[in-house]
Amino acid sequence: MNVDLQLSRRSLLQRAGAGFGTIGLTGALQSAGMLGTARAANGSLDGLHHAPKAKRVLFLFMNGGPSHVDTFDPKPALLKHEGENPTERSKGRGAGYMPSPFRFAPQGESGVVMSELFPHLANHADDLCVIRSMHTDVPNHEPGLLIMNSGNQQPIRPSLGSWLSYGLGSENRSLPSFVVLCPGLPVVGPQLWSNAFLPGRHQGMSVDTNDLAVEKLVANVRHPEWSRGEQREQLDLLGQINRLHLASRHDDPALESQIRSMEMAFAMQREATEVFDTSGEPKHVKEAYGSTPYGKSCLLARRLLEADVRMVQVYYVNKGKQPWDTHSNNDDKHRSLCADGDKATAALLTDLKQRGLLDDTLVVWGGEFGRTPYAQQNKKDKDRRKAGRDHHHTGFSMFLAGGGTKGGLMYGNTDEFGMHAVENRVHVHDLHATILHLMGVDHERLTYRYSGRDFRLTDVHGRVVHDVIA
Amino acid sequence: MHRTLLLFVALSCVAPTLAGADEQAELDFFEKRIRPVLVAQCYECHSANADADRNLKGALRVDTRDALLAGGDSGPAVVPGKPDDSLLLSALHYDGFEMPPKGKLPDKVLADFRRWIEQGAVDPRKDDPEAIVQTKKAEIDYEAAREFWAFQKPQRHEPPQVENAGWVRRPIDAFVLARIEEHDLDPTAEADRRTWLRRVTFDLTGLPPTREEVAAFLADDQPGADERVVERLLASPQYGVHWTRMWLDVARYAEDQAHIVGNNSSLFYPNAYLYRDWVIEALNEDVPYDRFVRLQLAADLVEPDDETNLAALGFLGLGPKYYGRGSRAVMADEWEDRVDVVSRGLLGLTMACARCHDHKFDPIATEDYYALAGVFASTQMMNRPLNDEVKKKGNQAEKPADAMHVVAEGKVEDLNVFVRGNVDAKGPVVKRGFPRILTEEPLHFENGSGRAELAEAIVDPENPLTARVVVNRVWARYFGRPLVGTPSNFGQLGERPTHPELLDDLAVRFAENGWSLKWLHREIALSATYRQDSRTDEATVAADPENTWLARMSRRRLPVESWRDAVLAANGRLDTSVGGKSIQPDDADAVRRTLYSRISRLDLNPMLRMFDFPDPNVHASRRVETTTPLQKLFVLNSPFMTKQVSHFTKRVREHAESDAERIDFAYELCFAREPTSAEREIALAFLSDGDDTEKRWQQYAQALLASNEMLFLD
Repeated sequence: MNVDLQLSRRSLLQRAGAGFGTIGLTGALQSAGMLGTARAANGSLDGLHHAPKAKRVLFLFMNGGPSHVDTFDPKPALLKHEGENPTERSKGRGAGYMPSPFRFAPQGESGVVMSELFPHLANHADDLCVIRSMHTDVPNHEPGLLIMNSGNQQPIRPSLGSWLSYGLGSENRSLPSFVVLCPGLPVVGPQLWSNAFLPGRHQGMSVDTNDLAVEKLVANVRHPEWSRGEQREQLDLLGQINRLHLASRHDDPALESQIRSMEMAFAMQREATEVFDTSGEPKHVKEAYGSTPYGKSCLLARRLLEADVRMVQVYYVNKGKQPWDTHSNNDDKHRSLCADGDKATAALLTDLKQRGLLDDTLVVWGGEFGRTPYAQQNKKDKDRRKAGRDHHHTGFSMFLAGGGTKGGLMYGNTDEFGMHAVENRVHVHDLHATILHLMGVDHERLTYRYSGRDFRLTDVHGRVVHDVIA
Repeated sequence: MHRTLLLFVALSCVAPTLAGADEQAELDFFEKRIRPVLVAQCYECHSANADADRNLKGALRVDTRDALLAGGDSGPAVVPGKPDDSLLLSALHYDGFEMPPKGKLPDKVLADFRRWIEQGAVDPRKDDPEAIVQTKKAEIDYEAAREFWAFQKPQRHEPPQVENAGWVRRPIDAFVLARIEEHDLDPTAEADRRTWLRRVTFDLTGLPPTREEVAAFLADDQPGADERVVERLLASPQYGVHWTRMWLDVARYAEDQAHIVGNNSSLFYPNAYLYRDWVIEALNEDVPYDRFVRLQLAADLVEPDDETNLAALGFLGLGPKYYGRGSRAVMADEWEDRVDVVSRGLLGLTMACARCHDHKFDPIATEDYYALAGVFASTQMMNRPLNDEVKKKGNQAEKPADAMHVVAEGKVEDLNVFVRGNVDAKGPVVKRGFPRILTEEPLHFENGSGRAELAEAIVDPENPLTARVVVNRVWARYFGRPLVGTPSNFGQLGERPTHPELLDDLAVRFAENGWSLKWLHREIALSATYRQDSRTDEATVAADPENTWLARMSRRRLPVESWRDAVLAANGRLDTSVGGKSIQPDDADAVRRTLYSRISRLDLNPMLRMFDFPDPNVHASRRVETTTPLQKLFVLNSPFMTKQVSHFTKRVREHAESDAERIDFAYELCFAREPTSAEREIALAFLSDGDDTEKRWQQYAQALLASNEMLFLD
C-alpha cells in the first residue's frame, strides 16, 4: 500500500466513517450486497479475492477444551493399553491411558463417527465436517484462547471477528458486525474479541447473556425515562442545531457524518431492541434450544445471524469458569456438558437450515485445545470416575458445518492413541486461513499497515485446507 | 551474515566420503534404515516440496546430502563422522529441538542414525545444487542508508522568503506560508478572538475557557493579550494534566495486565498513578525533554542517590507482563514490548520488525534488535516498597499495593540473535548497544544493563530522530495532522514530512532552547498559522481537502478526554484537583478529569473503548477517529449522560428567571459564545412547546451537550 492510499484511508475514516463497517476492506465504498457480486471495497483489496461460500461466521466456543477422544475421535487402543503410560515424555501424572466409556458409532448416510454423547447432533452428521487433526502451539488456556481467537499468544493482535469486520464490513448498518455472546467473561476476557490496532468499531460487541432483558444486553439502548416520541422530538431539535452549525462550515463531511450517526443510533435503538429480544420466540423453539445459558445464547445467535451480523461468537462458559476444563470427573462432566451442548447446537443447526441460512453461514465448533488421552488423577485415588484429562494441544477435534464446507466428512487423523495429529494436520492458522477463504478472502492479502509492517490474521503462517471445502 | 559464515564452516568441514571402505554397504544401510525414516518423518516440513508449499520449517531441508550438511537456521544438521556435533541427532534425541514433533522415534532408529553419521553419512541424494545455496545475507550499506532524510541530522534553516511577509509572526509561519504560496493558495483570515481563545484553551489545557476567562480576554485590548493568555495557560497545572495524556498514549500506560489467572492480580499495577502523577508534574515544571526521557529510562542509574524521580521508571515498569513469564519465549515477547515502546515511541523506528529477520525496509539488522533487547533482558521489573514499613520479599514489596512499579538492574546478559525469532535457534551473541544506523561508530553499552547509556544515546544532540519525533507529536495535536503522517515510523514505509525544513528547524531550535516543551507550545500557539479560521472559502477546501498545506486551521474533533471534561465543566462540577488515584470515567458521579481514568489492559472502560481510546497493550502512534451509533447511544441514553444533563439543566435554570437569559448562559458554558438569533428562536420555540417545562429543558440541555459544536474545535 502506498502513502496515498494510507492517506485516503485515513481521510475516509475521518470523513466517511459513519456507522459500522463502512470501511470494509479498508475502503468506504461497500456497505451491502457486495458479497453476491464478489465485489468488495477499495483500499488494499479491490474486491473479494474470490467468490465466497459463506457470508457469516458462527463460532461456538467450548471454553476449556473438549476431549476429542470422548467426542469425535474414537481410540480403541486406549482400552487395550489402559493404564500404560505414553512412551514419550508424559505429563500424565502416572495415571496412564484412559479409554473413553462412551460408545462411538457412524451416523447419517455419510457415517461420520461421534460418541453417544451427541444424540441430537447425530441427526446432523451429514452436515458436519469433523476435523480430527487440529493442533495448536501450547497446552495452556490463556495463550491457547488467544491463538484460537487472534492467531497470536500475546494479547496484541486483532481477533478473527475483528478482521472479518474490518475486511468485510457489515451488511446491517444498524447493528455491530461482530457480536460476542457470553454469560459473564471467559478467561482472558475482552482481549479475545479485541480489535487491537484495527479501528475501534471492529471490536466485538460483547453481550452478557446471563440476563436476557434487552436493556441489559445492549448498553444504552433505551433512555431510562423518555419515550421514543420524546426522543424523536429531541433529535429533531438537535438536528436543527447541528444543521445551523454545519451550514456556516461548508457542510464539512466530518460534521455530517456525526449527524448521520445520531440518526443511525436512533434507528439502532429500535432494530437492536427487536433483534436482541428473544422473548417472542415460540415456545417450541425455546424448548428445542433449551433454557441453559448456552441454549439461550444459541437462540440469540440465530437472530443475530438472521439480521446479517457478520460474525457471532457464542462462548460456552460459566461464571468465569471454563466448563470444558475437565481435570477431574471427565466422564460425568462431558456427559452433562455434551447433553446441554448437543441439544442446543443441534437445534441451532436445524433452525439455520430451515431458514435457509446454513448454506452461507459457516459454523465452527471447538475449544482452545483438546484433552489428554491419558488420565489425570492422583496415584492413590483408585476411583476411575474421578479421573480427569489434562490440556492437550498436539491433536484434537473441531467441526465445521455449512458455509460451503463438505458435510459428512471426517478429515485428518491422530495417531492410534489420539496423542498427535498425524494425517492431514490442521493448525489453528490453517483453520483461520480456511475460514477467511470461505468468506471470499485470501488470508495473505487481508492486511493492515501498522507499526511499519502489514499485519495479517495468520501472520506468516496458514494454509487453506481445500479438502474440507465443498 | 553469520548464517553465511556457518555455511562456509560447514562446507570446509565436509569429510570425504569413506575412502576405501565398503561404500556399497553404507549405501544399502542408508537406503534401508535412514532414507525411509527421513521420508516418513521429516520431508513434510523439511524438503523441496515443503519449501514449494511454503511449509519449510527452520530453513532446513533434509532431502539431499548437501542440504543436510548446509543445515538450516541453526547451522549444519549433520557433521559427517561426528554424531555428537550433528544437530539432526540431538533433535532426534529431543535434546534442544524435539524432532519429529509428534513423538520421539524408537531407540533403535536413533542408534541407526548415530551409526550412519559415524560412518560418514553416506547419502546419494542430490538435486539442483542451486536449490540449497542459502541466500547470503545482504550487508547493510550504512553510508547509503544514511542518505535517507530521517537519518540525517536535522539542520537549522533560514525561514524562506515569502510574498506576504507581513503575515508571518513566528519562524514556523514563513515555512508554512512558503508552502501555501507554492500551491497558489492564500492563508485564511484570523479566527475571531472567542474562537481563538476556545481553541488555545482546549489545546493547552484540554478544557474550555470559563465565562470569566472569556470576559477578561475580550476586555483586554492591550498589546500582548494573546501572549498573556498563553502564559496563563502554560502556568496552569491543567496544562500538565492535559499533555500527560499525549505521553501516556506513547508510553502505553496501563494499570493491569491483559491476563488474569483466577483472582491472582499480583502482576497488576495498583499504584500506576504514581507514574502518571510524575509525568504531570514534570510537564508542569517543564522538565527539559532530554532529561524527561533520561529519567524515564534510567532514573535509578542517572540519579542513584536521589529517589524523587524514581516514579519516572513507570515508563518501562508499567509495561505488560505476559502469561507464563519466566519461560524464555514469553520473556522474549516482553522484551519486544520494551524495544517497541522505546524505538517507536522515542525514535520513530519500527525496530520490532527486526526481531525475526533484518528489517525489510529500514537499515535495522536483527543484531540491532537483539543489542537493544539485551538491555531489557538485563533489566528487571520491580515492585519497589513504598516505605520501610511494608512487608518485603527480598528487596521487593510483597504486595503490589505497597509498591511503586519500576524497573531495576537485573542479571546483565548479552543476547544471542534468536534466528527467526525462535528462542531455541541461537545465533551469535550480540553485545548490548544502540542501532548501528544512528551512530557514526558502533556504540556498545558497558555499564550494567546499559539503560543509562541507551537514554544518553537517545537524547544525544547528534541523534537525528529524537527531537523530530517529539516535535512532530506535539504538532499533530495542534493541527490534527502531523508533519510526518506516521508519527512512530520515520522509516522508509513511513510518510515523508510535508514541511521538511520546518520540522528540522523546529526540532533544532527546540533542542537549542533547552528541550523546553513550553517553548515549543509558545512557538505554535502564538503563530499566525494557528490563528487562522477553520471556516474558509470553498476553493481553498477544494484545492487542499486534507489541509496538508495549512492554508486554514483544521477543524478538529475533541478527544474523549476533553469532551467529557467539557461536559463536566459545563455543569459546573468538574473537579480539577491534580494527581492521585484513578476513577471510572463513565461513573455518573465521577467528576475528576478524564485523564485520571483507570486504564485497563484486561477490560478497558467501555466508554473509553467506544470513543477511540487506543489499546493500552501497545504503544499508540496516533488515535484513530471513528464515528459510530454506539457512541451516540452513549450520549443519548447512558446513566453518565443523563446524570450530567440533570446537573447542567439545574445549573442553567437556576442562573436566571427568563428562558432567554438561560439560553445565553447555556451557550456561554458550552461554546464560549452567545447564541445567534436563529439559535435563540429554535430554543425558545422548543422550550415553550408542551406542558412539562422541566422535561423540555432537560431535552434541550442534552441537545446542546450532544451537539457537534460541543465535540468539535473550530
